[in-house]
Amino acid sequence: MKPSIKALVLFWLLFAGNAHAFDFGKLEDKLKTELPVNPKLVEAVKEARGPDEAEEIAIGRQIAGNLLGASPLVKDAKLQKYVNRVGEWVASQSERPDLPWHFGVIQSDDVNAFAAPGGYIFVTRGLYRLLQNEADLAGVLGHEIGHVIRQHHLKILQQSKLVDLGGKALSKEVGGSDKVQHLIGSGAEIVSRSLDKNAEFEADRIGVVLATRAGYDSFGLPGVLQQIGHFAKDDGDVALLFKTHPHPDDRLEKLGTAMDDRFDRVKGKTLEKRLYRIKP
Amino acid sequence: MGMRTRMREWCGAAMLCLLVCAPAAMAAESGTMLKADELKAEPFRDAKTVKTLAKGDKVDILSKQGGWFKVKAGKSGGWVRMLSVRKGTAAKAGSGASGLLDMASGRSGTGKVVATTGIRGLNEEELRTAQFNEKEIALAESYAVNKADAKKFAAQGKLAARPFDYLPEPK
Repeated sequence: MKPSIKALVLFWLLFAGNAHAFDFGKLEDKLKTELPVNPKLVEAVKEARGPDEAEEIAIGRQIAGNLLGASPLVKDAKLQKYVNRVGEWVASQSERPDLPWHFGVIQSDDVNAFAAPGGYIFVTRGLYRLLQNEADLAGVLGHEIGHVIRQHHLKILQQSKLVDLGGKALSKEVGGSDKVQHLIGSGAEIVSRSLDKNAEFEADRIGVVLATRAGYDSFGLPGVLQQIGHFAKDDGDVALLFKTHPHPDDRLEKLGTAMDDRFDRVKGKTLEKRLYRIKP
Repeated sequence: MGMRTRMREWCGAAMLCLLVCAPAAMAAESGTMLKADELKAEPFRDAKTVKTLAKGDKVDILSKQGGWFKVKAGKSGGWVRMLSVRKGTAAKAGSGASGLLDMASGRSGTGKVVATTGIRGLNEEELRTAQFNEKEIALAESYAVNKADAKKFAAQGKLAARPFDYLPEPK
């Protein structure tokens, strides 16, 4: 049994909470009796989630694991649990509430955030430190959730013909890490690729709306963009972010036009006191 | 002993003042108008217009309320839409970023920015050559929460879910 298959199995096991979509007990029995994993199990997973989604998650897991290879998690379990609670709540306001969402803070002091297909989202410690309240965090995570639900990165992979969802590229070997790795190119390079400008503007609009739906103050994400716009272009902490995203000023302007006066009467919570403060 | 106690009190008072006074002193953060917009007497669209600010006008940001900044613009004061303002002055100073941002990010006065130039940062090369880390991804997955947990957490913060349509792409 390849380690990656084992990982995928473990990964499914961990998601008991999201398991209502299929008969989890039955799957568990299968796991017990049919290890090592055989194609039947893969089929069971696919049946439960649909082939495209299972593949999307397998791709995302590989990318996320590579990203963590470059920058591991901040070793603070309370922090990680906290961002997952906020993230899950925001994501559950989206049209893909049943994805197995994962959120994390990674050790990099860069100011950046990353989304991988299937619901893997990471914020750098550098960005986390800029946050002033929970609504800010909700807005940032909402932006990344936007990339996932609109499949922005997956579409890049598809466009480059690396992935052919529905076209069987992966279907024989979901979770086969070498094969998945082959599909996503080198390491976690995909997360450093620039998306179309419009994809970023779209994710900004989604981030604001998801945070609002979740009951937060709508102006968290715009506030963070304002903070980031404050950085000088030549500051190494934002080099990659500025390279791969439109300038925060442009994003603010576009977002401002889109928001217009729609949020004037919308009150929300900032939850400044509840924001988990990261250890120095 | 009395001397020492007094000294301690004085230090305490000074510390307290630093903690309490510093944010007030820093609250006047400078901003620049991203676009022309009206300065309002109150943070509402229908409020009386004090005057119109032009693109590039400088403002001092005093506080924030929802989507509005309370600002001072020349001799006038009032409220302006947060999204019409960029923080900082138009000419971006390389290392001169200061104020709330630095406080918030813990960058103030640490010299970290200079000290670590060139060695920090997730650059494309690092990402390209990154190796899959099974242990870390499994750890990340171990922190997942389910919807019921998230719902409870939201309720604790008095967050109420509400419908809100996605925003159309501006023309």
